[in-house]
Amino acid sequence: MTRVVMSQIRKTFGESIALEDFSIIFEPGDLVCLLGPSGCGKTTALRILAGFENADSGSVTVNGEDITRVPVSKRHFGMVFQDYSLFPNMTSRENIDFGLKAQKRSSAQRTEIIDRMLFITALEDQADKFPHQMSGGQKQRVALARAIATEPNLLLLDEPLSALDAKVRESLRDEIRRLQKEIGVTTVFVTHDQDEALAIADQVGVMSRGRLEQIASPRDLYEHPVNPFVASFIGSINRFVAIAGDQGMWGVLNRWVMSDRPSVLGDTAVLGIRPEELAVDVAGDGNARITDISFLGPVTRVSVEFADHATSQNPEVIADLMSAECARLSVGDKVQVRVRDDVTSAIMMSKPESEAFTESESIVHVN
Amino acid sequence: MTATTAAPLPLQSPLESPASPPRNSSHKPVNLTRVFRWIYLTLLGIFFAVPMLAMARFAFQSVPVALLTPDKLFTGWSIEPLMNALTDTQALNAARISVTLAILSILINLVLLIPLAIVTEIKAPKLRPVLTAVTLLPWVVPPIALVVGVSATFRASAPWFLASIYSLVPFYALWALPFTYRALDAGLQAINAKTLYEAARSMGASFTTTVFKVLLPNMRASIVAAATLTAALVLGEFAFASLLLKETLPTYLVNFQRSDARGGLALAIFILILTALVIGISVRLMRKRGLNISSTGL
Amino acid sequence: MRQRITPDARLGLLVALPFLAFVALFLIYPVVVVMIASVTSDGEFTTESLQKALAGTYGKGFANSIILALTTAVIGGVLGLLLALSVKGLERPRWIHNTVNSWSAVASQLGGVPLAFAFIAAIGTQGIITKIFMNLGIDINEFGVSPTGFWGLVVVYLYFQIPLMFLVTLPALNGLRPTWREAAAVMGASPLRYWRKVGIPILTPATLGGMLLLFVNSFAAYATAYVLNPGGALVPLQIRFLLQGNVISGEEDLGYAIVTWVIILLLSSLLLMTYLQRRTLRWTAS
Repeated sequence: MTRVVMSQIRKTFGESIALEDFSIIFEPGDLVCLLGPSGCGKTTALRILAGFENADSGSVTVNGEDITRVPVSKRHFGMVFQDYSLFPNMTSRENIDFGLKAQKRSSAQRTEIIDRMLFITALEDQADKFPHQMSGGQKQRVALARAIATEPNLLLLDEPLSALDAKVRESLRDEIRRLQKEIGVTTVFVTHDQDEALAIADQVGVMSRGRLEQIASPRDLYEHPVNPFVASFIGSINRFVAIAGDQGMWGVLNRWVMSDRPSVLGDTAVLGIRPEELAVDVAGDGNARITDISFLGPVTRVSVEFADHATSQNPEVIADLMSAECARLSVGDKVQVRVRDDVTSAIMMSKPESEAFTESESIVHVN
Repeated sequence: MTATTAAPLPLQSPLESPASPPRNSSHKPVNLTRVFRWIYLTLLGIFFAVPMLAMARFAFQSVPVALLTPDKLFTGWSIEPLMNALTDTQALNAARISVTLAILSILINLVLLIPLAIVTEIKAPKLRPVLTAVTLLPWVVPPIALVVGVSATFRASAPWFLASIYSLVPFYALWALPFTYRALDAGLQAINAKTLYEAARSMGASFTTTVFKVLLPNMRASIVAAATLTAALVLGEFAFASLLLKETLPTYLVNFQRSDARGGLALAIFILILTALVIGISVRLMRKRGLNISSTGL
Repeated sequence: MRQRITPDARLGLLVALPFLAFVALFLIYPVVVVMIASVTSDGEFTTESLQKALAGTYGKGFANSIILALTTAVIGGVLGLLLALSVKGLERPRWIHNTVNSWSAVASQLGGVPLAFAFIAAIGTQGIITKIFMNLGIDINEFGVSPTGFWGLVVVYLYFQIPLMFLVTLPALNGLRPTWREAAAVMGASPLRYWRKVGIPILTPATLGGMLLLFVNSFAAYATAYVLNPGGALVPLQIRFLLQGNVISGEEDLGYAIVTWVIILLLSSLLLMTYLQRRTLRWTAS
């Protein structure tokens, strides 16, 4: 198994900076997702890793060995592309064979590997078909088989699912996960789809404007985002104006919660509260009014509008409630919105008023 | 699994990492192919330019090639031969005929093909393979072959038809057919005609309103392209006119050149530049609008 | 269930009929008459004319025309493909793509009388290139490079064949996805191996298809050949000869037979070309 380290990578294209001081460690056997909005540099990072682009500065090491200047074909990686990139003039079998031939393996060995690859990707009946005779999902499975057949040190997946439709995407996603665990190859998976990243990854690296904002497990990322960008990029979040009390607590709506920053009595800041951390009760003299209710199965998403716009930073606040609790709610109802009793901490979405309120990150919007 | 659990493992598979080469050495081969590319493009450029320049020299410099020495390179230039050629009444007559033929061919093609292209795109996609096959026919039956058939049939059954200069029109329209259809089809594809049509219909517009108010205005660019390509083709067509003994611009040019070599070449340059401008401008115009017009008719 | 004619189908028929009638009257009818005449004599089926058309002077004409067409198709095909490859690989300067593209659209249509004149002025006996080489002590006409010689004709035809090839192969070249090359590299293949196993096999049908089109284009070219050498032994020039009444009695059907052969030759080339093109499209369509 392989440990890959990218350290202090900088990459510019003309005037624009694609990556800046980008460092990340891919631990052996991990599936790491690079997640971020388009243009955040995740694809550039992958292309530098693969060797298609040269970094302006910084280094890439594989198990301690510097490969920054090693050409693509000598890196012994595997890669799956968004557009499948199967060779159209070859059958599935020949596509898988391509890399094996380049490794100069014996023909018996190649046949054996190809058969095993076709078996584990459930493609036996597609073995002699050409790419144009297969569906998108099948093509991408062949591409995956082709990428892992050479037993690469590192598997790179560049938005491999975004050309597929929703149903295929989900099943192939699970298949990639299963295969990756089975063969234990260290894997980097680039995507802009957070659901995909959270579902599949051991570690998710959230990127923004050429930098790695945070790398953590999906759960850590959701529960302990290190900054407002990560907080609002992963999942949804409501913004509320909070007032500092004593003992470092912040008062938001009805509750005192802790935050990662100390407070000065009387200070104000914006705190983020997840939709599922809110409770909604019908109350004639409540602080908000229901504007929309959408039933999502076990959960129902309720949108409310606060009477006092100063309380909420967003015109609309969303709350995810257990559907069973929502039967009595209807659009137009006056309701009391509060933070659930079991919530003890919240994410700071802006610097407290007392500190300089200049960083642009405080106006990142909830999706 | 967290980012710090596993310790670095020994290298599993050999990475034959060569001593890291200095960065600029990896760019050198790229530059070399670049040089070859430019050499090749330059050579081709010369090949394309030389005949034109030679023709211009012959036409506009009154120094015979046998007497041409480096010190005489800039003597004896004049555009008189072109002026003579252009003021010749017979030339003007031939030009007038060619222009008339071009306009008529364009009209016939547009009248026949605009409705057909639109209906094929939005109503009857089954017609598409038929159209594609038919547009290949002019490649299969070149003028030199068709003229034999035309003589064998119309000369006997409708001699009045072949006697007229306008008998060329239907055949010119035929050879321009692939260009016209490709241009119109590209235009329809580019504007998403089917979606546009359905949207207009869903808002209550009638079929004719939709065609005249929505589709046709949006096809203006491709209609212009079809017309210019047809015009270029008609202005250059020689075989059919020559074999049916009609005097169009190209056939006149050949006769004229026999009596006035320099004037003939001057006129040829004039026609060439005109044709090149017509095609070039229309191709560029179309590309600006995102239309990929097939100038080969395929 | 009985098949009913839908209003859409009726409309399709309505607009297709005038068009098809036009094509039938001015193209299909004359061609069919000629083809039938070429295989009948006094109402009897016979292949006598067809055989004659491939014998003697006319057989020689076919041989010459085919050799000329093949030569310009292969040379023009290779040079045109190289042009497309050169331009495709140059990202800078940007104008180069549009310029070559527009120029090719123009030059591929430039066959004809003016082009022939241009080459007479360049490589004719009084041509300036002939003169320049003469001063260097080389008589290019001696190598067949004169407007009337075989290689002269090839050079003239290349003037429109190279741009045509460029236009036909560029779409296929643009269909070569950069990720194919990248995928090959990741799997440890050298650029050479990529070209041998992926690039060239994918481009081959398009290249062959393009060359077939050049073959057809060259075989049917008349104006250039006529201006340069009206008496040359090429099929289009022989057809003119026969058409203008230079027929020995008993050989009236010869012209028809030659035309029939021409159409058979061009039709099969184009069918093969469309087949190859379809394959390219299937491979390179996204």
